[in-house]
Amino acid sequence: MEELNCDTVFTIPLFGGIPVAESTVVTWIIMAGLVLLSILLVRNLKVENPGKVQLLLESFIGWLSDFFEDILGEHGKRYIPYLITVALYIGVANLIGLLGFKSPTKDLNVTAALAIMSIILIEYAGIRQKGPKKWVKSFAEPMPLLAPINVLEIFIRPLSLCMRLFGNVLGAFVVMELIKLIVPVFVPVPFSFYFDIFDGLIQAYVFVFLTSLFVKEAVE
Amino acid sequence: MLKLGWDLVFTIINLIVLYLLLKKFLIGPVTGIMEKRKALIASSLEDAAAQKNQAQEMKQQYEQSLAASRLESDEIVARARIDARAEYEQILKDAGVQAGQIIENARKSVEAEREQALREMKAQIASLAMDAAEKVTAGKAGAELDQALFDQFITETGDGK
Repeated sequence: MEELNCDTVFTIPLFGGIPVAESTVVTWIIMAGLVLLSILLVRNLKVENPGKVQLLLESFIGWLSDFFEDILGEHGKRYIPYLITVALYIGVANLIGLLGFKSPTKDLNVTAALAIMSIILIEYAGIRQKGPKKWVKSFAEPMPLLAPINVLEIFIRPLSLCMRLFGNVLGAFVVMELIKLIVPVFVPVPFSFYFDIFDGLIQAYVFVFLTSLFVKEAVE
Repeated sequence: MLKLGWDLVFTIINLIVLYLLLKKFLIGPVTGIMEKRKALIASSLEDAAAQKNQAQEMKQQYEQSLAASRLESDEIVARARIDARAEYEQILKDAGVQAGQIIENARKSVEAEREQALREMKAQIASLAMDAAEKVTAGKAGAELDQALFDQFITETGDGK
């Protein structure tokens, strides 16, 4: 049970003490790592005769943005950078357990924040594309009777996004801990590949895939 | 673990900050460079197409002028051939005429020569006959006789021959 909890690392002495949990600190570390890596990789970009590193970086970013562009279409292009950011963040957050850190996505606060950001993005995209009036009207589609369910969707979508990510990461972690408890050598290796790497990346993929699908639905 | 708290707010702030940072340092530059390359490729493709078009046009022009010059040269050759034939015929005709003239001249001169020779011969024969008659009639000189003899001789040689 000790490993499952997110400990408070330190407390900001304001308003009677604001606790800062491990997940937030690890998020900072991830942010610093991503930004530093970006700055390092983006140096010396060339239009002609790109180097191997640049080609790799370009094909990676190109692959991600093509993936989102396919789903979002023309109107949703402007949300691609945010979705790439979230994909990178969740991917790294799910894998950082391998380095001995505690995955931030194992904290419900983080997945909830991600889901809230997603639903804000989805509804913002809808309002921006349709205008406030049409956006409100869109709840009464395909028929007014379904309006309550459409309104409920605003809460269900982020909840399911949040809980799916949280449950998967936590579940994978628990299963891995149990396997390590029973057979500490050799056996955990294939399971670790599946639960730590494959599942983590799949969850990152699912999260951004669903978010972009919902955005696409909103801007249609 | 399951308690929502301040960390939710922190995470939202972190996400927004991370988004802005990554957009500035990773996604912006990379997509910028990719766009630039795309533009470069598009422009060079356009250039290539334009150049190809131009080349095609020039080729067409060359072919046209080549065909025109070939036609012209054919015409020149045909004209030259016609001219040559006309000249040939002219020369041939001239030559025929000239040859006829020469032959005519030759014939005339031959005729004239023959007449001349005949005349001379006649004169010589006459003098010979005079001499002969003189020798024969040396004894009996008499002008009347001489004249009679001469006339007789002339009539005999001139017609009897």
